[in-house]
Amino acid sequence: MDHASLVFASVFPVPSLSHTTPTPVATPDLGYTAPGSSFGSPFAGTSGAEQHHVAKRNSAWSTATRFLSLPRDANYTGLRTRRTRDVDDALNYLLVGAGKTPDGAKAEEGLVGWYTNEVRLHYAKYVRPDLRELWEKEIPLSDTWETLEETQRILDHAQKFYLHPFDEHIVPFLHQDASNMTIRVSRDADTVDAGLVEAAKSKFQRDMQAAFSHSLPSKRFSKTLSHVLYDAGCRLFRFYIRQDGVQPSAAPEDTNGVRARMTTLLVNLQGVGLGGEMAQKAFAHSMDKIIDTFIGSHYTKVDWFSKASVVPSMRNWVENGFRPLAELVLKCLQCQSTNVDSTQMKQWQEMALARLGRARVENLFDFVINWDRSLGAILDLKEYLKLDGAKEFLKNHFSRQVSRRLLHQGATTTYILNVYISIIRAFHRLEPKGVLLQSVARPIRRYLKDREDTARIIISSLLIDIEDEKGKNIPLNGELSYEIASEMAKPFAQPDNVDDEFNWNDMNWQPLPHDASPEYKKSKIEDVIYFLLTLWDREDFINELKNIFGDHLLRCQDPEFQLEIRLLELIKMRLGEEKLQACEVMLRDVLESRRINDAIRTAAESSNRRELILQTPRTPRSKALRPRPQKSLSISSASPPALALNAQILSSFFWPVLRDDDFHVPAEILSLQKDYESRFERIKGMRKLRWMNALGESRITLEFEDRTEEFEHLAPWQVSVIYAFQPQPGEDPSGGGKGISRTITQLEEMLEMDESLVKQAIAFWIGKSVLRETSDSTYIVVENRSSTDNPVDSDAAAAAKELAEVQAAQTSTVKSQADLLSEKKDVYMSFIVGMLTNQGNMGVARILMMMRMMVQGGFPFAEEEVKALLVELEGKEKVVGLGGDVWSIKK
Amino acid sequence: MALSNGSAANVASRLQKELMDIMTHPTPGITAFPSSENLTTWTATIDGPTGTPYESLVFKLNFEFPSTYPYSPPNVTFKTPIYHPNVDFSGRICLDILKDKWSAVYNIGTVLLSLQSLLGEPNNSSPLNGQAAELWDKDMDEYKRLVLARHKTPEELDADAA
Repeated sequence: MDHASLVFASVFPVPSLSHTTPTPVATPDLGYTAPGSSFGSPFAGTSGAEQHHVAKRNSAWSTATRFLSLPRDANYTGLRTRRTRDVDDALNYLLVGAGKTPDGAKAEEGLVGWYTNEVRLHYAKYVRPDLRELWEKEIPLSDTWETLEETQRILDHAQKFYLHPFDEHIVPFLHQDASNMTIRVSRDADTVDAGLVEAAKSKFQRDMQAAFSHSLPSKRFSKTLSHVLYDAGCRLFRFYIRQDGVQPSAAPEDTNGVRARMTTLLVNLQGVGLGGEMAQKAFAHSMDKIIDTFIGSHYTKVDWFSKASVVPSMRNWVENGFRPLAELVLKCLQCQSTNVDSTQMKQWQEMALARLGRARVENLFDFVINWDRSLGAILDLKEYLKLDGAKEFLKNHFSRQVSRRLLHQGATTTYILNVYISIIRAFHRLEPKGVLLQSVARPIRRYLKDREDTARIIISSLLIDIEDEKGKNIPLNGELSYEIASEMAKPFAQPDNVDDEFNWNDMNWQPLPHDASPEYKKSKIEDVIYFLLTLWDREDFINELKNIFGDHLLRCQDPEFQLEIRLLELIKMRLGEEKLQACEVMLRDVLESRRINDAIRTAAESSNRRELILQTPRTPRSKALRPRPQKSLSISSASPPALALNAQILSSFFWPVLRDDDFHVPAEILSLQKDYESRFERIKGMRKLRWMNALGESRITLEFEDRTEEFEHLAPWQVSVIYAFQPQPGEDPSGGGKGISRTITQLEEMLEMDESLVKQAIAFWIGKSVLRETSDSTYIVVENRSSTDNPVDSDAAAAAKELAEVQAAQTSTVKSQADLLSEKKDVYMSFIVGMLTNQGNMGVARILMMMRMMVQGGFPFAEEEVKALLVELEGKEKVVGLGGDVWSIKK
Repeated sequence: MALSNGSAANVASRLQKELMDIMTHPTPGITAFPSSENLTTWTATIDGPTGTPYESLVFKLNFEFPSTYPYSPPNVTFKTPIYHPNVDFSGRICLDILKDKWSAVYNIGTVLLSLQSLLGEPNNSSPLNGQAAELWDKDMDEYKRLVLARHKTPEELDADAA
């Protein structure tokens, strides 16, 4: 009974509520005489019968209710006495006889209603406080089972107590009543009769249980119940990572015990009316958490070893582990359908898969890095991608991970390239059509394009041999990508050009993914190198390739150029033959140079009356030739033995811009060059050679007073500088007993070499302990190693060595960007001046755009360089900055 | 050199080469730069030669190259208003090498040099501006006054255009 009616009843007494004082049996109701009729006896008229009827009912009511009243104390366990005869009569009268339905009586005024209310009051007064005590405070996780069981016990007890009088004293009369009523109506009297009684009984139970469940804090109860179910699930499935923070016990759980305890609890709760919707909701909640936890504890572990997907076993668990549990619980809660059908189960499997997929996506970047040990995880994701919305989710999350973890300044280009390769491989596995790869790789490709060293690293990595002759991996420095190199080493499969959209025999055909972008090109290419080579526009890439390829050819040690030939063939296959003419010419140049060298040397040696095996010389078709000396010479302080000189003949038109420092080479070399030149001209029909002394490689032997040392891979300028320490004609070889000394200025003059180059060479030789600084900028040869073994010298040598190494790293054969800028600075400056003069004031960005457009051969610089040029021009008073990046010509 | 039909690409590459030449070997007092992306229109600037009425004045010119360039001459006009016997008031120039005497060996640089010298040595026998031709011979002071009166600096030109 709700609060409102209780309040109402306190003001306007309702009989069923206020019956505590029974109507005195002894006082007859004499009735009254109706107006207009004669005053007569109590039995006169019909109204007297009415009066009597009311009195009888009141008296019966009083008797029955007194009998049925529940004991007014907390101890409600006491046994009830048997009902006496007058109670029987009263009950019979009220439930079966004429007293059943008093005139104008409401339903609740019947005796059943009264009893229901009596139960409510009793419950509120004597049972509820116990429960409140139990539920008042938050329930610790460890007590959830006990609390529920205790609650269930209390309620069970109370229910039995309340039901007993009902069953004993009310139901029989109801039966009787029902049979009276139905006897005339139906032949199925028994069933109808039972049905009516049942209805009355279940209404009573419902009301009672409503009181029970209302008295519990519903949220707390459902939380507690769902925790209990969750806990049971965790124990049954032996989860070892739980979301509620409870440490699972190390000992194996007694699963049968847990299952029995849970079943009992649920059945009993259902019995006292605490099942139903509330429990079902709690159950749904806990199921949800169980799936989560299960995935967290069992399946987020990637199968690193067998590299298989965990999805099948997860599906299996849902079907054979999770479903039976759900069915069991549903049965306990007496749900209408306790069978989980297959659609429902598929949904669960998908839910589980979605959760697993999301967990995988969170770590996708790590999986990609650890490809291909993470194959299992990728296969899981492949399953996940079949779900709706999964692709979008994966794309967004992965892009975010990539931009956070990969595309930042801290990552080296090599690292990014390696990760990109892993992404290509992993995503190819994930979705062979490549649409997903295309969209996740876009930011990476854009970023890689912006990095200056990307092309260099790719091409140099393509050109290295990762295995030495013994098949061992050689260590690579940080600049080279092992991944790229190993890709290159893989056999190259010619992509078949058959359009397999029309290949009717292709049993693995799949339609294009629906999310493919319009420009999506169907490519079956899983070839990593293809992706790397297509990072740039073809032209840009080929230009870069030309530079690096040229540099590489000049440094290459392999006389057969096997790798280079292979690389060129590969790139030709991918980019088209016609674009790579320059590279082919370069390759041919170096190959033919060898033949010419052989031919010339043979000719020279035969003229020197020495024998050598002759190789058939071939005529190169190159037009302009640019030779590069590759000399192997030995210098000794006494008479020099025979020197050998090999030249690389380069077709100047096709090679990138090379270093071209002018300086004097040692006289012996010069004469060799002249000799070579004349022989070359004889072979090649008057073609001219121009020597590029800055390039080349030499091997020399230095003889000192106390030792002889050999040096290999020296640059010609290094040789020239050390050769300048030979005594000149007319110079005292002993240098006045101190050895020959030279200053930097002297060397510059003697060799006509750049000061910076001289200094570099000096630093190199000091690093090798060949030269020593005696005083400021004056150097002598260290003839006796032993005498110089003092710490000062070795320190200086170490320092110089370091310097030389740093400088060597900066000196490459092909001109660097900075070299190019300083060399072409004048042209660029006159461009800028011309532009500003004729086109008026301009912003830096527009200047850069114009430069890129107008400068022949391209303007490979950025705004920074343009700004630097402008500032320099400002210093020369040619231009003025107008502020806000806008520049104008100085008037 | 093969006579090509002068496709746009050929014109562009020839003009780009000329641009590089101008930039690598700049001539004092003369500059030129393309004003459109396809290089077929240029703006050039020449300084008035010393010892002439145009001394210390700066003139801007407009070049338009036909698709047959260099086999036909560019269309050159003065953008800066100039008072000169061989230039009319809309900037059109009467110069033989820009008309019938054109040859493919000429280029932007030579045209600009010719124009610069034309400033100091007008061809008064075939004037476009008769008054100027007359004053050149008779009243140099008046001529100078008119030159300065008509001249506008590049900034004024820009301001007018704006």
